[in-house]
Amino acid sequence: MGYCMSRLSFQEKMLWGQLAGILVVVGFYARFLAHSGPGHHYFHAVLIVLLFLFASVRTFVRRRSRSVVEDERDRAVASIGTRWSNIILWLGLVLILVMYWDHGSMRSANFLIGVLFHLLILAGAARIIRELVAYRMSA
Amino acid sequence: MTQQELADHISVTRQTVNAIEGDKYSPSLDVAFRIAHVFDVPLEQVFHYDPPRNRGK
Repeated sequence: MGYCMSRLSFQEKMLWGQLAGILVVVGFYARFLAHSGPGHHYFHAVLIVLLFLFASVRTFVRRRSRSVVEDERDRAVASIGTRWSNIILWLGLVLILVMYWDHGSMRSANFLIGVLFHLLILAGAARIIRELVAYRMSA
Repeated sequence: MTQQELADHISVTRQTVNAIEGDKYSPSLDVAFRIAHVFDVPLEQVFHYDPPRNRGK
């Protein structure tokens, strides 16, 4: 496992970290759905804490590393992932617009927040998985 | 010269050098020239172009 991780680039390790983070958030979300009651929406806090932790670790490792941690190949892979993420976000936004045009008065703010949350998780997961696949294809 | 040493010389990651060696990634002209410069050889001695066969047929 250690040998396998050492062969991964910094960006790949970060992607696996992000994927693990998304799985934790989804896990907390599933728990919220199973025991939905007021005041127990921990996945929001988990999401924010994970984002903060991830940004901190990323900044720390980048500053500490003596070698290059990101190059043109990483940027090329990132652009592929971003394209997938953008497509999903655009489709989701169009879907939201269509829903609100026709039945805007019937939809609650909670419903909209739920759709946006799912959309973000879906777009993020698609970007990460697509980038991991791209790394494996060019490794 | 190790992959890591070359990577440090040309400011890319070791994984990118590995991908270039394995013909899995085509570097930019900038990186290609830097590699040639490190080994002090002409570009065409490091990289060569295989034109796609049967194109336009």
